[in-house]
Order: sequence, then structure tokens, then C-alpha cells
Amino acid sequence: MTAHVHEGLVPTDAPLLAAEGLTVRRALDGATVLPPVDVRVGPGQVLAVTGASGAGKSTLLRALLDVLPDGLHRAAGTVRWRGAAVSPGRTARRWRRARCGWLAQDPGAALHPLWRVDRLIGEEFTGDAAARALRVEALMHRLGLPPGLASRRTGELSGGQAQRVALARALCTDPELLVLDEPTSALDRATADLVAEEVRSRRGTPGRCVVLVTHDARLAAELADRTLVLAGDAHPAARADATVRPGPRATAAVRGRMTSTPWKEPLRPIAGPASPQAGRPPRMAADPAPSPAPVLSARGLALRTPDGTPLLDAGDLDLPAGGWLAVTGRSGSGKTTLLHALAGRRPSAAGQLLLRGRPLPAGTRSRDRRTLRAVQLAGQDTAAELNPAHTVGRAVARPLKVFHGATAAAGRERVRELLDAVGLPAELAGRRPAALSGGQRRRVVLARALAAEPDVLLLDEPTAGLDPDSARLVLDLLDRLRENGPAVLTVTHDADTAARADRVLHLTGRRLVPRPHTTPDHPLDERTEHSGVRPHDG
Amino acid sequence: MTGAPPPFFPKAVRPSVSVTAALTLLVCVPLGRYAAPHPPERTVAAPWAPPGGRHPLGTDVLGRDVLSRVLAGGTQLLTVSLLAALAAVVCGAGLGLAAGWSGDRTARTVRALCDLLLAVPALVLALVLATALPGATAVVVAAVLAGAPLTARVVATQCAQLRDSGHVHAAVERGERTPAVLLHEVLPALRRLVAADAGLRLVTALQIAAALAVLGLGPQPPDPDWALMLSENLPGAALNPWALLAPAIPLAGCAWVFAAAARTAARVPGEAA
Repeated sequence: MTAHVHEGLVPTDAPLLAAEGLTVRRALDGATVLPPVDVRVGPGQVLAVTGASGAGKSTLLRALLDVLPDGLHRAAGTVRWRGAAVSPGRTARRWRRARCGWLAQDPGAALHPLWRVDRLIGEEFTGDAAARALRVEALMHRLGLPPGLASRRTGELSGGQAQRVALARALCTDPELLVLDEPTSALDRATADLVAEEVRSRRGTPGRCVVLVTHDARLAAELADRTLVLAGDAHPAARADATVRPGPRATAAVRGRMTSTPWKEPLRPIAGPASPQAGRPPRMAADPAPSPAPVLSARGLALRTPDGTPLLDAGDLDLPAGGWLAVTGRSGSGKTTLLHALAGRRPSAAGQLLLRGRPLPAGTRSRDRRTLRAVQLAGQDTAAELNPAHTVGRAVARPLKVFHGATAAAGRERVRELLDAVGLPAELAGRRPAALSGGQRRRVVLARALAAEPDVLLLDEPTAGLDPDSARLVLDLLDRLRENGPAVLTVTHDADTAARADRVLHLTGRRLVPRPHTTPDHPLDERTEHSGVRPHDG
Repeated sequence: MTGAPPPFFPKAVRPSVSVTAALTLLVCVPLGRYAAPHPPERTVAAPWAPPGGRHPLGTDVLGRDVLSRVLAGGTQLLTVSLLAALAAVVCGAGLGLAAGWSGDRTARTVRALCDLLLAVPALVLALVLATALPGATAVVVAAVLAGAPLTARVVATQCAQLRDSGHVHAAVERGERTPAVLLHEVLPALRRLVAADAGLRLVTALQIAAALAVLGLGPQPPDPDWALMLSENLPGAALNPWALLAPAIPLAGCAWVFAAAARTAARVPGEAA
């Protein structure tokens, strides 16, 4: 047994959902992806599933619902709903349709690209059009989605908005079983609280239950009646990055290992001489003293959504060498658009970009290869960010070849180093994105951006979907790298990530407002490891 | 980690039944002539002799051994059809990628051209071409003109959607040239679509080749050819049905095997459907 259930306060009577010995294997080689797991969720209960990236959390949810992807199959175990077995196939499909609401991990990929938001949310609702419209409106309001969003399509939503639309869709029929895969990974704190409220309101309701995968310890502590920790130690490829957490005692040891192993020497350029140590001034932590010349600056940057709604008028920002700038903001405020404008992916409506004091062309097509190498973006939507046909090794090796002319052998060696640096085992190099977990994909995207050895690293939610240990590993890596390497600009909802930055800018009301991250009463900083279990009302 | 280092790049796709069968066909069909028990062009017995004795599948209209003619008769048909399908897919995918990527006037021009070509029935096109060109060339040209527009339309739509996906942006941001982006990022992501489409194009090409041969515009008697055998032996179907069935089965089987093999070869273990 590799799963441990911590019993909560709520007494368990006959469970609504029960699974015994649920095991998932890969069809290709018979490898165990999910070791046998037992799940019991009683009426009115919330079960949180946590565990390291790649431990099989999403696989467990998919196995429960019988929606495993091709190449994986349920090798053993039973799922029971109100005591009756739900056999895979037709029974499970009918059960899903009648009883379950399901929020998948990549909501952007799951939503129909051509449907409007209101149709997406209300599709499963049985009732007349007026009742449906009311229901959709109420759900959008409760999840903090502005009414103007109702007429948009998936491509016009931000990552966090798409996630909430997918959640509203799952909630629309008020399903008896709600299954959520990281419902808050793309959300800022305030918006995540709205989602948490939605889950909390189902707690204690007879005949309703929730299974929730999350990396957010606070969310799990606040909401869950029981927590299931997946260790995933039987998964050979994930062994190196899965954190075995049987209890608090072992956790410290594991953390020590994870922070100390990677990276014997700092990243060095592949072509040319080794970079001189201490070539740049040390970073200015919270020191407002004269900052070094900015690597990347933006002046008078104006951003719009694709349909022309202004997101930012005349924003300025400076990223000093070796600095770390975090940009926060509500879901849908234009953070990703800002990164895309800086990377040249979607040029800004107005404004000027400067790279080391020289004008930087707005679009990627007018940038030369040296400039392109200097600014690297690791995007948010990891499912689209990696080519489904290419192996991880190929994806990470390509920038090495293009920018540094690395030979195949040198590239392979370097890919191994980069994967190790982001906490991924070398075996993953031979896999394709479909065989990776969301957290693993995110780190592959980061490794690919690092492979270019950029001067400026633009990161869109670098720790979303990562378990706390992997997130810390990634943040430590970035902190270490920027001493001699790239300046870092992250947009993030995560307080831990924002806390690592030298400066935090808040994107709000179409302006970029500086925000000292040391302000004690700031909502970003009130986060602690656990705020305890809140008493739930009724 | 212990033992040998893990494989860095994946092993080739595991040999599957359909791919193995297709490769076997590719090797065996041209060699079939040498396995023929009798010279395929020579009369060896009475016409329409039923199966038996020295002629396991009987004899045809001129008393030639059916088995020998079936063994010898697939090479030209298969070569021409495969070439035609390949040409149609390459032209169609190329046009589609160009149209889908540019998304402006090029796209509209390509689409208009495709619609125009699609308005002409493939068989009529082939018949007209066969009057001016040698049979094999006519098949290839007709298959390209009839098939490439279909491929182009599908590929263009998908390519336009992929243009905005992160991995394509990442390639552009690496400074890859447009042809490299199209060949290394867009096309691999579309390979299953293109492979499935290639199967359809092969079936179309086989149909055109067979139709021209049946009409006498392809290989000329006494050459052994599966499609020609169909038209030659139709009158004796009641006397020796095998003279008709024996060439029809490999004709249909080849189309099926190659279409299945194209689909399988594009599949990658671990990738979602």
C-alpha cells in the first residue's frame, strides 16, 4: 500500500463513492502507473488527493471515472457508487452523465473551441432556456466571471477564466459527485477563494461529495474531510521526482535530498568559454539601492485583448540584470498578454521595448536570432506548449542546436543536465508529452527555455500544477541561476513565487502598480503553510 | 539509477501487423512473377478450366494459368497507385500548409483552385487525360488533381489552428525559418491526419488505375494485370469464378493493408487518440 488516508473529524457512514484496489497499468509495457489505491468518500464529504508531480493523481481521478487515456487501462479494482458496482464501459458512461461533474486538468483543451461561454456552461442543464440562462448567470457570478464573458469563445479566455468556465460547466447540473483536478492552479488568491467557497458549500450536503486534486496545502486543509496522499513509488519513471511522504518525519529528509542533489555546477554556455564567476553584481534582495542597468525595459506598453478591450494603458517596467520581477493580478487582468507582448508572440498595441538599452522589435518575426535567444518564454498552457509528436529530449535539444550549435551527443548530455536541474528523471527524455503529468510538462517547458541560455526568462505561472517540493526545487533553481544568468520575470498567482522576487508589480485597473512584497498586511503574504480547518457553516 | 542508461530517444514504433503486411506486399508483389509456376503470357490449357491439377486456380479466357497471372499481375498497378497517392499527398499537404500558414490571399487562391478542381469528377478527368497521356501518367495526374485538393483543404484548416499553439510559437521564437517550422513542428503534429488521408488517396488512386485498366486504357494484353484480368475474365465468371475472384482479392486487399499501415505507422505509443 502506498496511499495513506488521514481521517478527519466527520464520521463516516456508508460511503457514496468507494473504490478498492484501483490499479492502472500502461498497456505498452505493463508498467504500473497507479499502485493499488482505496478511496472512500461519504455523503457530504470532500476528499483531497495530494502527492508529488507524476504520482498518478490525475490518473486516479480518470480511473475512478473510467476516462483513462489511450495506452492506460484499469488492471484491477472496483468502483462502487452507493454500494453498486460501476463497471467500466457503458455503465460507467451512464453513471458519469447522470451523477458526475468533472473538471479536467487542462480546461483550455477540454472546452469546445467554437462554442460561446454561456452555451459551454449550460450544455448539460436540463430545463427550459430561461431557467438555464438564470443558472448560468448565477454560476458565472459566483465564480467571479464578469457577465460580458458569456459571449466569448474559449480562445478569448485567459487561463484562469477557462478554468472557471470548465468548473461552472461541471457545477451546472449540481452533480452528486464532483471531481476536480487542480481547480485553482491558474487562479489568483481571491478568485481561488470563490472556488473554495463553491466546494465548501457542498460540504455536509447529504447525497453530495467531492474528490479534489490539489497542490495547494491551504486549500486541502481548509476544505478536505480526508486527505489521500499518493506516493507513486511504484512508478519507475517518476521515482526520482516523486516525493514519498508517508508522514511528517520522512518529509524533512526528502526535502533535504531534493534541494541538495541537483546541479553540481552552475549552467554554463555550451559553446565558448565557461562564464566567469561573479561577472555580474550580486542581486539586490529587498535593497532599493542603485539597481544595475536594466536588461529588459518596456515604456508606455499598451495591451489589448484580441477583441480590442484594453487591458493596460501605458505600463512601464524595468528588469535589472540578475533581477527577479513578479507580476501579479486578478485572473483575466492581462498578465499572460503582457508576457506575450514582451516575448513578441503577440505584439503590444503601443509602446516600446528595450533590450540592454537597444530597441527590441515588437514581433518575433522582426527579431534576429541573437535577440530571440536573449528573451525566452515558458508559456502557461503546457498541453499546447509541447509538440505532441516530439519527445521531451527532442524538444529540449532543439534550442541547444539552433542557438548554440550543439552536436547531438553534447545536446543529449545537456538535456540530461537540464532535466535533472528541474527535477525530472532522465528517462523522461524518451517520452512524449501525452505520457507526462501536467507538472512534468511544465518543467519540460522550463527546461526548454533554459536550454537557450537566455538573458531574460519570461515565466507564465512556473509553479502551477507542481507539488510544493517540486515548486521549491524550481524556485531554488531560478534563484541560483539568476546570479550569473537570466533575469527572471514571472507572472504568477502563487504567493511563494511572488515572495522570491525582488520586486512585485500588480496589474490592476489597467495599470502596473509597484507593490513592496514585505508589506505585512498584504493578502499575498498572509498565506501560511496551514491556516487550519475552518469551521464550515451548517 | 542502476544498470544500462535508459534509451534516450524512443525505439522505433513496434512492428505492427499491418505495417509488416504492407512491407511484405511491397517486397513480394514485384517478386511474384518469379514464383509463377507457368509463364503468365502463355496458353497452357483449355480456356476457363476449373481449379485443379496443375492449375490450382484454373485457367482464364485464353487458357492461361490464373495463379501465374495473379502472381505476376500486381506490380504495375501497385507502383502506379502508390506513386499517385504519394504525389497527391505531397502536393496536397504542401499546398495546405502554405495556405493554412499564410492565411491571407494565398489561402483564398488555393481554396478557390481546390474548389474548382473538386467540381470535376475524378473518373472523367482520368478518361480525358488517358486519351492524351500514357496510362500510368494519366493515373498519377488524375489522382493528384482529384486528391490533392481534398488533402489541401483538410491540412490547411488544421494548420491554421496550429499556428496559434504554443509549440509553434516557440519554434518561431527560436528563429526557425518558416519551412522548418512547417516541416518540423506543424507537419509532425498533423502526421496522423496526413497518414489517414494518404490511405484515402491510395484507395482513390487504385480505383482510377483499375478503372482505366478495365476500360483498356492502361496495360495492354497480353500483359498480366489484376484490373485487366477483371475485364478479360468477366464473361467466364460462371465457368471459372476464380479467374475473376483471384485478381479482385489482392486488389482490394492491397488498398486495405496500405491504408491500415499508413494509420498505424503514424501512431505513437503513449499519445492520446
